[in-house]
Amino acid sequence: MTGLRASSAGARRTNVAFAAEGPGRTLSLVATILPTAEIELNPIAAEAGVRSLAEAHGVPVPHVHAVCTDPGFVGGPFFLSDRVDGESVPRRVLRLVHAEGIGERVAGQLGEALGRLHAVDPAEAPDNLMDDPSENPAEVALAGADKMVAGLPLPRPALAFGIRWLERHLPPAPPRRTILHTDARNGNLLVSANGLEAVLDWEGSVRHGDPMQDLAWPALRMWRFKEDGREIGGFAGREPFVAGYEAAGGTFDEDRFRWWKVLGTLRWALGLAGQSAAHLDGRFRSIVMAASGRRVPELEWDLLMLVRPD
Amino acid sequence: MQYEPSAEDLLAAMAELLEDELMPALPDALTHKCRVAANLARILERQERLGPDAATREREQLRALLGQDGDSGALSARLAQRIREDDDPGFQRQAWDALVAITRDDLAIAKPGHDAWEGI
Repeated sequence: MTGLRASSAGARRTNVAFAAEGPGRTLSLVATILPTAEIELNPIAAEAGVRSLAEAHGVPVPHVHAVCTDPGFVGGPFFLSDRVDGESVPRRVLRLVHAEGIGERVAGQLGEALGRLHAVDPAEAPDNLMDDPSENPAEVALAGADKMVAGLPLPRPALAFGIRWLERHLPPAPPRRTILHTDARNGNLLVSANGLEAVLDWEGSVRHGDPMQDLAWPALRMWRFKEDGREIGGFAGREPFVAGYEAAGGTFDEDRFRWWKVLGTLRWALGLAGQSAAHLDGRFRSIVMAASGRRVPELEWDLLMLVRPD
Repeated sequence: MQYEPSAEDLLAAMAELLEDELMPALPDALTHKCRVAANLARILERQERLGPDAATREREQLRALLGQDGDSGALSARLAQRIREDDDPGFQRQAWDALVAITRDDLAIAKPGHDAWEGI
Protein backbone atom coordinates (compact mmCIF):
# COMPACT_ATOMS: atom_id res chain seq x y z
CA MET A 1 0.00 0.00 0.00
CA THR A 2 1.30 3.45 -0.93
CA GLY A 3 0.06 7.03 -1.11
CA LEU A 4 -2.22 6.74 1.92
CA ARG A 5 -4.29 9.89 2.52
CA ALA A 6 -7.58 10.74 4.19
CA SER A 7 -9.69 11.98 1.30
CA SER A 8 -12.70 13.07 3.30
CA ALA A 9 -14.00 12.72 6.82
CA GLY A 10 -17.76 12.87 7.13
CA ALA A 11 -19.64 13.00 10.39
CA ARG A 12 -20.05 9.26 10.52
CA ARG A 13 -17.27 7.81 8.39
CA THR A 14 -13.74 8.27 7.11
CA ASN A 15 -12.58 7.76 3.53
CA VAL A 16 -8.93 6.87 3.00
CA ALA A 17 -7.49 6.82 -0.51
CA PHE A 18 -4.48 4.65 -1.32
CA ALA A 19 -2.81 2.64 -4.06
CA ALA A 20 -2.67 -1.15 -3.66
CA GLU A 21 0.34 -2.53 -5.50
CA GLY A 22 0.27 -6.18 -6.47
CA PRO A 23 2.16 -8.34 -8.90
CA GLY A 24 1.58 -6.89 -12.34
CA ARG A 25 -0.92 -4.15 -11.46
CA THR A 26 -1.75 -1.30 -9.13
CA LEU A 27 -5.28 -0.52 -7.98
CA SER A 28 -6.34 2.96 -6.97
CA LEU A 29 -8.72 2.39 -4.04
CA VAL A 30 -10.72 4.05 -1.30
CA ALA A 31 -11.33 2.47 2.09
CA THR A 32 -14.62 3.63 3.63
CA ILE A 33 -14.32 3.09 7.37
CA LEU A 34 -17.04 3.38 9.99
CA PRO A 35 -15.61 4.43 13.36
CA THR A 36 -17.80 1.95 15.26
CA ALA A 37 -20.45 -0.49 14.20
CA GLU A 38 -22.91 1.10 16.63
CA ILE A 39 -23.73 4.25 14.68
CA GLU A 40 -24.13 2.75 11.24
CA LEU A 41 -27.47 3.26 9.50
CA ASN A 42 -27.22 0.19 7.28
CA PRO A 43 -24.77 -2.56 8.20
CA ILE A 44 -21.72 -1.97 6.03
CA ALA A 45 -22.21 -5.25 4.16
CA ALA A 46 -25.75 -4.14 3.21
CA GLU A 47 -24.46 -0.77 2.00
CA ALA A 48 -21.78 -2.43 -0.12
CA GLY A 49 -24.32 -5.00 -1.33
CA VAL A 50 -26.90 -2.47 -2.49
CA ARG A 51 -24.16 -0.51 -4.24
CA SER A 52 -23.04 -3.59 -6.14
CA LEU A 53 -26.66 -4.38 -6.99
CA ALA A 54 -27.13 -0.84 -8.34
CA GLU A 55 -23.92 -1.19 -10.35
CA ALA A 56 -25.18 -4.44 -11.90
CA HIS A 57 -28.25 -2.51 -13.08
CA GLY A 58 -26.27 0.29 -14.68
CA VAL A 59 -26.17 2.89 -11.90
CA PRO A 60 -22.74 4.58 -11.84
CA VAL A 61 -21.04 3.78 -8.50
CA PRO A 62 -17.44 3.10 -7.50
CA HIS A 63 -16.99 -0.66 -7.85
CA VAL A 64 -16.79 -2.46 -4.48
CA HIS A 65 -13.88 -4.94 -4.23
CA ALA A 66 -14.17 -6.21 -0.68
CA VAL A 67 -16.10 -5.82 2.56
CA CYS A 68 -14.74 -6.44 6.05
CA THR A 69 -17.15 -6.50 8.99
CA ASP A 70 -14.42 -7.29 11.55
CA PRO A 71 -13.55 -4.05 13.39
CA GLY A 72 -10.24 -5.58 14.54
CA PHE A 73 -8.14 -4.38 11.58
CA VAL A 74 -8.71 -0.61 11.33
CA GLY A 75 -10.97 0.10 14.30
CA GLY A 76 -14.29 -0.35 12.52
CA PRO A 77 -15.95 -2.22 9.68
CA PHE A 78 -14.91 -1.05 6.21
CA PHE A 79 -15.15 -1.71 2.51
CA LEU A 80 -12.76 -1.12 -0.38
CA SER A 81 -13.90 0.42 -3.64
CA ASP A 82 -12.38 1.94 -6.76
CA ARG A 83 -11.21 5.52 -6.48
CA VAL A 84 -13.10 7.48 -9.12
CA ASP A 85 -11.78 10.90 -10.16
CA GLY A 86 -14.10 13.88 -9.96
CA GLU A 87 -15.47 16.60 -7.74
CA SER A 88 -18.00 16.01 -4.96
CA VAL A 89 -17.82 19.26 -2.96
CA PRO A 90 -21.07 21.00 -4.03
CA ARG A 91 -19.79 24.47 -4.92
CA ARG A 92 -16.82 23.03 -6.81
CA VAL A 93 -19.13 20.63 -8.61
CA LEU A 94 -21.31 23.56 -9.69
CA ARG A 95 -18.32 25.62 -10.83
CA LEU A 96 -17.11 22.71 -12.93
CA VAL A 97 -20.54 21.87 -14.34
CA HIS A 98 -21.31 25.43 -15.39
CA ALA A 99 -17.81 26.08 -16.75
CA GLU A 100 -18.26 22.98 -18.93
CA GLY A 101 -21.89 23.76 -19.78
CA ILE A 102 -23.06 20.28 -18.74
CA GLY A 103 -25.75 21.13 -16.16
CA GLU A 104 -28.57 19.56 -18.18
CA ARG A 105 -26.49 16.47 -18.87
CA VAL A 106 -25.72 15.91 -15.18
CA ALA A 107 -29.38 16.46 -14.19
CA GLY A 108 -30.42 13.97 -16.90
CA GLN A 109 -27.82 11.43 -15.80
CA LEU A 110 -28.97 11.70 -12.19
CA GLY A 111 -32.58 11.09 -13.27
CA GLU A 112 -31.43 8.13 -15.32
CA ALA A 113 -29.40 6.68 -12.43
CA LEU A 114 -32.42 6.89 -10.11
CA GLY A 115 -34.66 5.41 -12.81
CA ARG A 116 -32.37 2.42 -13.10
CA LEU A 117 -32.19 1.97 -9.33
CA HIS A 118 -35.98 2.11 -9.04
CA ALA A 119 -36.34 -0.52 -11.76
CA VAL A 120 -34.55 -3.10 -9.59
CA ASP A 121 -36.77 -5.68 -7.88
CA PRO A 122 -36.58 -4.94 -4.12
CA ALA A 123 -36.45 -8.70 -3.52
CA GLU A 124 -32.91 -8.60 -4.92
CA ALA A 125 -31.71 -6.17 -2.20
CA PRO A 126 -29.40 -7.50 0.53
CA ASP A 127 -31.33 -9.24 3.34
CA ASN A 128 -30.07 -6.85 6.00
CA LEU A 129 -30.87 -3.62 4.12
CA MET A 130 -33.08 -1.27 6.14
CA ASP A 131 -36.73 -1.87 5.42
CA ASP A 132 -40.05 -0.28 6.23
CA PRO A 133 -42.95 -2.73 6.18
CA SER A 134 -45.65 -0.04 5.74
CA GLU A 135 -47.59 0.13 2.47
CA ASN A 136 -47.53 3.92 2.42
CA PRO A 137 -44.12 5.41 3.34
CA ALA A 138 -45.59 8.95 3.16
CA GLU A 139 -47.95 8.18 6.05
CA VAL A 140 -45.09 6.95 8.23
CA ALA A 141 -42.88 9.92 7.32
CA LEU A 142 -45.68 12.36 8.16
CA ALA A 143 -46.43 10.72 11.52
CA GLY A 144 -42.73 10.94 12.45
CA ALA A 145 -42.45 14.60 11.45
CA ASP A 146 -45.68 15.48 13.25
CA LYS A 147 -44.38 13.95 16.46
CA MET A 148 -41.11 15.86 16.18
CA VAL A 149 -42.85 19.19 15.54
CA ALA A 150 -45.01 18.58 18.63
CA GLY A 151 -41.85 17.88 20.66
CA LEU A 152 -39.99 21.09 19.77
CA PRO A 153 -38.96 23.22 22.75
CA LEU A 154 -40.31 26.41 21.09
CA PRO A 155 -43.57 26.55 19.13
CA ARG A 156 -42.89 26.88 15.40
CA PRO A 157 -46.18 27.75 13.67
CA ALA A 158 -44.54 27.74 10.21
CA LEU A 159 -43.75 24.05 10.70
CA ALA A 160 -47.30 23.44 11.94
CA PHE A 161 -48.48 25.03 8.68
CA GLY A 162 -46.30 22.56 6.80
CA ILE A 163 -47.71 19.59 8.73
CA ARG A 164 -51.26 20.70 7.99
CA TRP A 165 -50.48 20.94 4.28
CA LEU A 166 -48.87 17.48 4.31
CA GLU A 167 -51.90 15.98 6.08
CA ARG A 168 -54.33 17.45 3.60
CA HIS A 169 -52.28 16.41 0.58
CA LEU A 170 -51.16 12.98 1.81
CA PRO A 171 -50.78 10.76 -1.27
CA PRO A 172 -52.17 7.21 -1.27
CA ALA A 173 -49.78 4.25 -1.19
CA PRO A 174 -47.50 4.39 -4.25
CA PRO A 175 -48.28 1.99 -7.11
CA ARG A 176 -44.82 0.48 -6.66
CA ARG A 177 -42.42 0.65 -3.76
CA THR A 178 -38.77 0.58 -4.80
CA ILE A 179 -35.25 0.49 -3.45
CA LEU A 180 -34.26 4.06 -2.55
CA HIS A 181 -30.88 5.73 -2.21
CA THR A 182 -32.51 8.47 0.01
CA ASP A 183 -29.63 10.99 -0.27
CA ALA A 184 -28.73 11.32 -3.97
CA ARG A 185 -28.21 15.09 -3.90
CA ASN A 186 -25.45 17.48 -4.92
CA GLY A 187 -22.75 16.65 -2.36
CA ASN A 188 -23.10 12.89 -2.74
CA LEU A 189 -22.43 12.91 -6.48
CA LEU A 190 -19.05 12.58 -8.13
CA VAL A 191 -18.90 14.73 -11.24
CA SER A 192 -16.19 15.30 -13.85
CA ALA A 193 -16.03 17.30 -17.08
CA ASN A 194 -17.67 14.25 -18.71
CA GLY A 195 -20.69 14.41 -16.43
CA LEU A 196 -21.94 12.24 -13.56
CA GLU A 197 -19.26 9.69 -12.65
CA ALA A 198 -20.76 8.08 -9.55
CA VAL A 199 -23.52 8.23 -6.96
CA LEU A 200 -21.89 7.98 -3.51
CA ASP A 201 -22.92 7.41 0.12
CA TRP A 202 -25.43 4.58 0.07
CA GLU A 203 -25.50 4.26 3.84
CA GLY A 204 -29.13 5.40 4.13
CA SER A 205 -30.61 3.30 1.36
CA VAL A 206 -33.81 1.35 2.02
CA ARG A 207 -35.50 -1.66 0.46
CA HIS A 208 -39.04 -0.27 0.08
CA GLY A 209 -39.80 3.39 -0.44
CA ASP A 210 -41.88 5.78 -2.49
CA PRO A 211 -39.68 6.42 -5.55
CA MET A 212 -40.78 10.09 -5.61
CA GLN A 213 -38.99 10.58 -2.27
CA ASP A 214 -35.71 9.88 -4.08
CA LEU A 215 -36.51 12.33 -6.88
CA ALA A 216 -37.71 15.10 -4.58
CA TRP A 217 -34.71 15.13 -2.24
CA PRO A 218 -32.09 16.36 -4.76
CA ALA A 219 -34.61 19.03 -5.89
CA LEU A 220 -34.70 20.87 -2.56
CA ARG A 221 -33.44 24.42 -2.50
CA MET A 222 -30.74 23.68 0.08
CA TRP A 223 -28.86 21.48 -2.39
CA ARG A 224 -28.69 24.21 -5.05
CA PHE A 225 -25.96 26.19 -3.32
CA LYS A 226 -27.15 29.63 -4.46
CA GLU A 227 -28.14 28.40 -7.96
CA ASP A 228 -31.76 28.82 -6.90
CA GLY A 229 -33.17 28.93 -10.42
CA ARG A 230 -31.91 25.43 -11.20
CA GLU A 231 -34.17 23.09 -9.28
CA ILE A 232 -32.10 19.93 -9.53
CA GLY A 233 -29.00 20.41 -7.39
CA GLY A 234 -28.17 23.75 -9.01
CA PHE A 235 -27.44 21.83 -12.22
CA ALA A 236 -30.55 22.42 -14.32
CA GLY A 237 -34.33 22.61 -14.21
CA ARG A 238 -36.66 19.66 -13.76
CA GLU A 239 -37.16 18.73 -17.44
CA PRO A 240 -33.88 16.91 -18.23
CA PHE A 241 -33.99 15.19 -14.83
CA VAL A 242 -37.50 13.83 -15.40
CA ALA A 243 -36.68 12.95 -19.02
CA GLY A 244 -33.65 10.92 -17.84
CA TYR A 245 -35.79 9.20 -15.20
CA GLU A 246 -38.49 8.26 -17.66
CA ALA A 247 -35.99 7.12 -20.29
CA ALA A 248 -34.69 4.63 -17.70
CA GLY A 249 -38.21 3.28 -17.14
CA GLY A 250 -39.36 5.43 -14.21
CA THR A 251 -42.79 7.00 -13.88
CA PHE A 252 -42.83 10.61 -12.68
CA ASP A 253 -45.69 11.71 -10.43
CA GLU A 254 -45.74 15.48 -10.01
CA ASP A 255 -48.10 15.68 -7.01
CA ARG A 256 -46.22 13.03 -5.12
CA PHE A 257 -42.92 14.69 -6.03
CA ARG A 258 -44.15 17.99 -4.58
CA TRP A 259 -45.39 16.26 -1.42
CA TRP A 260 -41.94 14.76 -0.78
CA LYS A 261 -40.29 18.12 -1.44
CA VAL A 262 -42.42 19.65 1.30
CA LEU A 263 -41.75 16.72 3.63
CA GLY A 264 -38.00 16.87 2.95
CA THR A 265 -37.85 20.60 3.63
CA LEU A 266 -39.76 20.16 6.89
CA ARG A 267 -37.50 17.28 7.91
CA TRP A 268 -34.41 19.38 7.29
CA ALA A 269 -35.83 22.17 9.49
CA LEU A 270 -36.37 19.55 12.20
CA GLY A 271 -32.85 18.21 11.70
CA LEU A 272 -31.38 21.68 12.24
CA ALA A 273 -33.55 22.25 15.31
CA GLY A 274 -32.34 18.87 16.59
CA GLN A 275 -28.69 19.84 16.15
CA SER A 276 -29.24 23.01 18.12
CA ALA A 277 -30.99 21.00 20.85
CA ALA A 278 -28.04 18.56 20.99
CA HIS A 279 -25.73 21.51 21.59
CA LEU A 280 -27.95 23.09 24.25
CA ASP A 281 -28.51 19.92 26.26
CA GLY A 282 -24.82 19.00 26.12
CA ARG A 283 -25.01 15.87 23.97
CA PHE A 284 -22.84 17.50 21.29
CA ARG A 285 -21.36 20.87 22.20
CA SER A 286 -20.23 22.57 19.00
CA ILE A 287 -20.42 26.04 17.50
CA VAL A 288 -21.55 24.44 14.24
CA MET A 289 -24.43 22.60 15.92
CA ALA A 290 -25.40 25.76 17.83
CA ALA A 291 -25.44 27.77 14.60
CA SER A 292 -27.85 25.27 13.03
CA GLY A 293 -30.61 26.59 15.27
CA ARG A 294 -30.35 29.99 13.65
CA ARG A 295 -30.71 28.37 10.22
CA VAL A 296 -34.22 27.06 10.92
CA PRO A 297 -35.88 30.24 9.52
CA GLU A 298 -34.25 29.53 6.14
CA LEU A 299 -36.08 26.21 5.96
CA GLU A 300 -39.27 27.77 7.32
CA TRP A 301 -39.14 30.24 4.44
CA ASP A 302 -38.53 27.52 1.87
CA LEU A 303 -41.38 25.49 3.37
CA LEU A 304 -43.83 28.42 3.32
CA MET A 305 -42.97 29.13 -0.32
CA LEU A 306 -43.69 25.49 -1.25
CA VAL A 307 -47.12 25.46 0.46
CA ARG A 308 -48.38 28.90 -0.60
CA PRO A 309 -52.21 28.87 -0.40
CA ASP A 310 -54.03 29.20 -3.75
CA MET B 1 -24.70 52.74 33.07
CA GLN B 2 -22.97 53.55 29.78
CA TYR B 3 -22.22 50.85 27.20
CA GLU B 4 -19.62 52.26 24.86
CA PRO B 5 -18.79 50.72 22.40
CA SER B 6 -22.27 49.27 21.95
CA ALA B 7 -22.98 45.54 21.72
CA GLU B 8 -23.48 45.99 17.97
CA ASP B 9 -20.06 47.66 17.61
CA LEU B 10 -18.35 44.96 19.68
CA LEU B 11 -19.97 42.13 17.72
CA ALA B 12 -18.82 43.76 14.49
CA ALA B 13 -15.30 43.99 15.92
CA MET B 14 -15.41 40.29 16.88
CA ALA B 15 -16.61 39.34 13.40
CA GLU B 16 -13.76 41.35 11.85
CA LEU B 17 -11.22 39.65 14.12
CA LEU B 18 -12.54 36.19 13.21
CA GLU B 19 -12.81 36.89 9.48
CA ASP B 20 -9.76 39.02 8.77
CA GLU B 21 -7.14 37.99 11.34
CA LEU B 22 -7.88 34.55 12.78
CA MET B 23 -9.25 32.75 9.73
CA PRO B 24 -6.14 33.18 7.55
CA ALA B 25 -3.90 32.08 10.43
CA LEU B 26 -5.82 28.90 11.31
CA PRO B 27 -5.09 25.37 10.11
CA ASP B 28 -7.59 24.06 7.52
CA ALA B 29 -9.32 21.85 10.05
CA LEU B 30 -10.50 24.91 12.03
CA THR B 31 -11.45 27.40 9.31
CA HIS B 32 -15.01 26.10 8.94
CA LYS B 33 -15.72 26.57 12.66
CA CYS B 34 -14.14 30.01 12.54
CA ARG B 35 -16.30 30.99 9.57
CA VAL B 36 -19.40 29.76 11.43
CA ALA B 37 -18.42 31.78 14.51
CA ALA B 38 -17.82 34.91 12.41
CA ASN B 39 -21.21 34.47 10.78
CA LEU B 40 -22.85 34.13 14.22
CA ALA B 41 -21.21 37.39 15.32
CA ARG B 42 -22.70 39.04 12.21
CA ILE B 43 -26.12 37.56 13.00
CA LEU B 44 -25.99 38.90 16.56
CA GLU B 45 -24.83 42.30 15.29
CA ARG B 46 -27.93 42.45 13.04
CA GLN B 47 -30.07 41.17 15.91
CA GLU B 48 -28.91 44.08 18.08
CA ARG B 49 -29.89 46.51 15.35
CA LEU B 50 -33.09 44.92 13.97
CA GLY B 51 -34.29 42.56 16.72
CA PRO B 52 -36.34 44.93 18.92
CA ASP B 53 -38.48 46.30 16.08
CA ALA B 54 -38.89 42.81 14.60
CA ALA B 55 -40.08 41.45 17.95
CA THR B 56 -42.64 44.26 18.25
CA ARG B 57 -43.91 43.62 14.72
CA GLU B 58 -44.16 39.88 15.37
CA ARG B 59 -46.28 40.40 18.47
CA GLU B 60 -48.53 42.88 16.66
CA GLN B 61 -49.02 40.46 13.76
CA LEU B 62 -49.91 37.61 16.09
CA ARG B 63 -52.28 39.73 18.19
CA ALA B 64 -54.11 40.98 15.11
CA LEU B 65 -54.36 37.51 13.60
CA LEU B 66 -55.54 35.74 16.75
CA GLY B 67 -57.55 38.55 18.32
CA GLN B 68 -55.99 37.97 21.72
CA ASP B 69 -53.09 39.25 23.80
CA GLY B 70 -50.04 37.59 25.28
CA ASP B 71 -46.30 37.34 24.80
CA SER B 72 -44.87 36.13 21.50
CA GLY B 73 -44.18 32.61 22.78
CA ALA B 74 -47.74 32.07 24.01
CA LEU B 75 -49.22 33.63 20.87
CA SER B 76 -46.99 31.44 18.64
CA ALA B 77 -48.12 28.33 20.48
CA ARG B 78 -51.74 29.41 20.05
CA LEU B 79 -51.18 30.07 16.35
CA ALA B 80 -49.59 26.66 15.82
CA GLN B 81 -52.65 25.08 17.45
CA ARG B 82 -55.17 27.20 15.44
CA ILE B 83 -53.37 26.33 12.19
CA ARG B 84 -53.96 22.66 12.91
CA GLU B 85 -57.62 23.08 13.97
CA ASP B 86 -59.16 25.97 12.03
CA ASP B 87 -60.45 24.95 8.60
CA ASP B 88 -61.48 28.47 7.52
CA PRO B 89 -59.50 29.13 4.31
CA GLY B 90 -59.54 32.88 5.09
CA PHE B 91 -57.81 32.26 8.40
CA GLN B 92 -55.29 29.92 6.79
CA ARG B 93 -54.45 32.53 4.15
CA GLN B 94 -53.99 35.24 6.82
CA ALA B 95 -51.87 32.88 8.91
CA TRP B 96 -49.63 32.19 5.90
CA ASP B 97 -49.27 35.94 5.22
CA ALA B 98 -48.34 36.61 8.85
CA LEU B 99 -45.84 33.74 8.94
CA VAL B 100 -44.21 35.00 5.75
CA ALA B 101 -43.87 38.50 7.23
CA ILE B 102 -42.47 37.14 10.53
CA THR B 103 -40.05 34.81 8.75
CA ARG B 104 -38.92 37.67 6.50
CA ASP B 105 -37.96 39.62 9.63
CA ASP B 106 -36.16 36.53 11.03
CA LEU B 107 -34.20 36.23 7.80
CA ALA B 108 -33.22 39.91 7.76
CA ILE B 109 -31.24 38.95 10.88
CA ALA B 110 -30.28 35.32 10.21
CA LYS B 111 -29.71 35.25 6.42
CA PRO B 112 -30.31 38.46 4.47
CA GLY B 113 -31.32 37.74 0.89
CA HIS B 114 -32.67 34.23 1.54
CA ASP B 115 -36.21 35.56 0.96
CA ALA B 116 -35.45 36.52 -2.65
CA TRP B 117 -36.55 33.02 -3.70
CA GLU B 118 -40.30 32.47 -3.84
CA GLY B 119 -40.78 28.85 -4.72
CA ILE B 120 -40.37 25.77 -6.99
